[in-house]
Amino acid sequence: MSKKGRIIYHVDMNSFYASVEMAYRPELKGKPVAIAGNPEERRGIVVTSSYEARAKGVKTTMPLWQAYSHCPSLIVLKPNFDRYREASRHMFSILSEITPYVQPVSIDEGYMDVTDYVNEENPIQVAENIQKRILNELDLPCSIGIAPNKFLAKMASDMKKPMGITVLRKREIKHKLWILPIEEMYGVGEKTADKLKKIDIETIGDLATKDVLTLKNLLGINGERLHQRANGIDDRPVDPDAVHEFKSIGNSTTLPYDMTNQTEIFKVLNQLSEKVAARMERKDVVAENIQLMIRYYDRKTITRSKQLNEFIETKDEISNIAKRLFQQHWNEDPVRLLGVTAQHLTPREEMAKQLDLFNYEKEAEKEELYVAMDQIKEKYGKDAFIKLKDTKAKMSTSFQKDFLSEFRENKKGKS
Amino acid sequence: MTTWVELEKFQPVAVKMINNSITRQRIAHAYLFHGPPGTGKQEASLLFAMRYFCENKDEHSSEPCHECVSCKRIQSGNHPDLHWIEPDGQSIKKDQIEYLQKEFTYTGLESNQKFYVVKQAEKMTVNAANRLLKFLEEPSQDTVAVLITEHSGQMLDTIVSRCQRIQFHTLSGEHLYQQLLDQGLAESTAKLFSSMKMDVNQAVEWNEDDWFAEARKIVIQLMDKVMNSNEEGYLYLHQVYLKHFQGRESLEFGLELLLIWFQDIISLHLDKQDSVVLIDQMERLEQFHYIVSLSEAKTLIYEVLYTKRRLAQNVHPTLAMENLILQLQR
Amino acid sequence: MKILIEREPLMASIQNVMKAISSKTTIPILSGIKLEANDQGVKLTGSNSDITIESIIPKEEDGVINIHEIIPGQIVVQAKFLPEIIKKLPNNQVEIDVDDDLNLKIKSGHAEFKLNGQDAEEYPQLPMLQTENSFDLQIDLLKMLIRQTNFAVSVSETRPILTGVHLKLEENLLELVATDSHRLASRKISMNDAEELFFNNVVIPGKSLSELNKILDETQDTIQISVTDNQILFRTKNVYFLSRLLDGNYPETSRLIPNQSKTVVKVNSKELIESIDRASLLAKDNRNNIVKLVTKGQNTLQITSNSPEIGHVEETLETDSIDGEELKISFNAKYMIDALRAIDSDKVSINFTGAMRPFVIRPEEDDEQILQLITPVRTY
Repeated sequence: MSKKGRIIYHVDMNSFYASVEMAYRPELKGKPVAIAGNPEERRGIVVTSSYEARAKGVKTTMPLWQAYSHCPSLIVLKPNFDRYREASRHMFSILSEITPYVQPVSIDEGYMDVTDYVNEENPIQVAENIQKRILNELDLPCSIGIAPNKFLAKMASDMKKPMGITVLRKREIKHKLWILPIEEMYGVGEKTADKLKKIDIETIGDLATKDVLTLKNLLGINGERLHQRANGIDDRPVDPDAVHEFKSIGNSTTLPYDMTNQTEIFKVLNQLSEKVAARMERKDVVAENIQLMIRYYDRKTITRSKQLNEFIETKDEISNIAKRLFQQHWNEDPVRLLGVTAQHLTPREEMAKQLDLFNYEKEAEKEELYVAMDQIKEKYGKDAFIKLKDTKAKMSTSFQKDFLSEFRENKKGKS
Repeated sequence: MTTWVELEKFQPVAVKMINNSITRQRIAHAYLFHGPPGTGKQEASLLFAMRYFCENKDEHSSEPCHECVSCKRIQSGNHPDLHWIEPDGQSIKKDQIEYLQKEFTYTGLESNQKFYVVKQAEKMTVNAANRLLKFLEEPSQDTVAVLITEHSGQMLDTIVSRCQRIQFHTLSGEHLYQQLLDQGLAESTAKLFSSMKMDVNQAVEWNEDDWFAEARKIVIQLMDKVMNSNEEGYLYLHQVYLKHFQGRESLEFGLELLLIWFQDIISLHLDKQDSVVLIDQMERLEQFHYIVSLSEAKTLIYEVLYTKRRLAQNVHPTLAMENLILQLQR
Repeated sequence: MKILIEREPLMASIQNVMKAISSKTTIPILSGIKLEANDQGVKLTGSNSDITIESIIPKEEDGVINIHEIIPGQIVVQAKFLPEIIKKLPNNQVEIDVDDDLNLKIKSGHAEFKLNGQDAEEYPQLPMLQTENSFDLQIDLLKMLIRQTNFAVSVSETRPILTGVHLKLEENLLELVATDSHRLASRKISMNDAEELFFNNVVIPGKSLSELNKILDETQDTIQISVTDNQILFRTKNVYFLSRLLDGNYPETSRLIPNQSKTVVKVNSKELIESIDRASLLAKDNRNNIVKLVTKGQNTLQITSNSPEIGHVEETLETDSIDGEELKISFNAKYMIDALRAIDSDKVSINFTGAMRPFVIRPEEDDEQILQLITPVRTY
């Protein structure tokens, strides 16, 4: 597949959850609708909302009380995961009929490489057909960006919502892309945007014309990457298999109130570790790296991780590392949100480790522990051992990741 | 085959440094020979290796004997414990790295003395560089590595910092001319190439290329035409010149030749016959320097330079050249 | 230089040295065979720089005349065509003639070949024989030593020194050790008259030993071994085999061998090989070819293996005795089979010191000479 002259689509479902609810309950159409995790609690935050709600100022990740204050007539619904999953599956199967090169990015968006499938046909016509089919068969709106690469396609699909089809050619980036404020650029988060603004980068165009060295010094390798993207360069292929590689399993939760008591915080870390361990168990994987996320009362967020030289899997192993990371990095400010993520995962069945003659002693010291664990497993059965803890994973803000088992790749910025 | 004494004539500092480390018996494990192409880095590596393995070495001299079995075999490429690594294409390939690595781990074939030369060392992949680094960190006693590069800036700092750096400087025009003569180039060609500061290797290559000889002829003929008001330089440009000089690089080369032509005219005006580059065209130039005044020649040099700039700015080559010819035509 | 030589011994010698010649060599002269004639006979040399083989054709041997005429001299001739040319010559005698311009003429009957030679001075200079620094072994014993250790050398280049077999000789005791850091093979033999000899940290590349083993016939003739700084030389009557060594320090391995044990299993070696071999049929599919061994009551061992996609295999094996603590241990089946085959004894004794520690396999009798060490696999 030649990288030159590719035709990439980015298909983005418009306010997906809200739209699915509206498709099920047509009477909601035209009304401000929001989907929120826990409607009755403060930690319930808006996951997504209809365009009508957005027009009133309701935003994703906004706490519910705040959303109500913007839009008192807001209809708040609990998510129906099965419905979304079903709709998503149907949507991707429509895309897969056009080309096998479909890369789901999350439940409601994906890339398609149609270079070899749009022969005589006009790419815009093909996109229109896709859009119509999704609307007719699922009653769901979507926007499609058409561009020579993934980044531009993604930016294009954002340019017209809902039900837009936007072509972004490379030669058009100067007047279509460069005029956009920097925070609108995909891949530029809040923090990156702040950093960029400090060096007078306000628009994507400013970024594109900045010298790479400065950007590299500021943002590391990401600076170079963003600079390329801003110049319309992105040669990542559309990889249909990317979805099968899940690189991490993580859970996070917003605390019911801002916490400063370490004992309480440790309790939460235990709970999160337990969920992570349970999900690892379900996936039959072990981890070599644990990451802790702390968000403070002022939304300042840090993530810190620990690379291990062994594989771990149990709740205690995970929580011990999470707690150690917390003690090392907590600045004693009130904590609003905590997250624990297991990274560098490997399937357990591949996890036999050939010991080394020259340094087996380190493993051998732990022998008794393993023997004991083995004995417990043998006595009570492997499953019984796990079931004790396998409380059904409660809904938390990371639920997207939880149910997205087919299309695994967490969607940054929306969790 | 050169000797240190000969090499020292045009690389005095580099040669002195190498010779000192030889005669004072302070040979480092790794050297970085860096500098522009054609400045004697490879010759120095070869001399160094010969002296290292030479069977008749004189403690007080850095010269190898050039006659013993070891010296001879180094020249013929048959010394089993001297290893040359040279990139095959864009980078040093996997099997070359494996070879290099294997040789690092084995003892020598004839003795435990080993000598490695890595040419275009900046083209080592990170993997290859790291393996080399590992060796540089724990070298065996009798091993010397010489890395040769024209782009030391592209090398990993960790490698550069473990090497003794020896800088090779650009040759002066006179030395370059001498070197080109030594390489068997005709005087006129050697003069021309040395005035263009071309490196020795490239000069030898171009010398064997018919395209170059033809290019030179065409430029001189073009000047014959444009300097003669009865002739159509414009026609010649289209019928011959532009067909030969295609593409930016060759067009630039053509302009370089034109510049030299005018410089020679100026040299004649200033009575600096020695500085004339196109020495085999002396008679012609003598004639033309009566037609083109000194100030005219200067003006026309500006025109050529202007055309060069326009080409660099992607002005259509035909347009740029037509414009130049109109300026030059008598 | 000129020789008139019998075709057959010449052909045999060429075939010997061809084993060392590689078509892809970075040193041009090594694509040739070196011929050296002196009053005693003719010597042929072939080399790929790692190994070098010299083959000697004596002028006369056991009353048989091999070479009828010799004018001393030397030349290097391209190896590519030589074997075919000599093989297809019409007569039993071959005349090889070299002139001052390095032209080589091969005559036999009415056939005459002219080849371009190369200056023998260009050929690598091999270290001289040092007989005072050498010892003798019987060839079949040397071959056994190689077989019992060489399989355990490392094939990965992460620790290059481990790709060789470590040779050590002190106080009349010769020891060969090989390890890839997961298993270790050690073999010792007592020497008779090597009191004066002492060497350590001689590491012979595993590949060279494999080549040597191929070349040597299973005979009781003696082979003379001598070591220099950079080469080891194995010398039989008419064939000399040289190999470069590995440069570096071989790790101290004696400390790796456990001197106590918690569980001792005595078992029929052949039965154990067969049962592990069966278990590993399925295990080959998993990453480390792992089988699990569990001690059960009444001197039985349970051997199992599990491959998630394929299935499970389990069998029990009667042993002669199991003493000490209960044990459950997993290891690479191939390592175990290699080790048992190398020991080549009816009964073996396996000493375990726990599931995470290396275990030692020795023959039940005569247990001083050979030892195999295997590090287990930790499973999850």
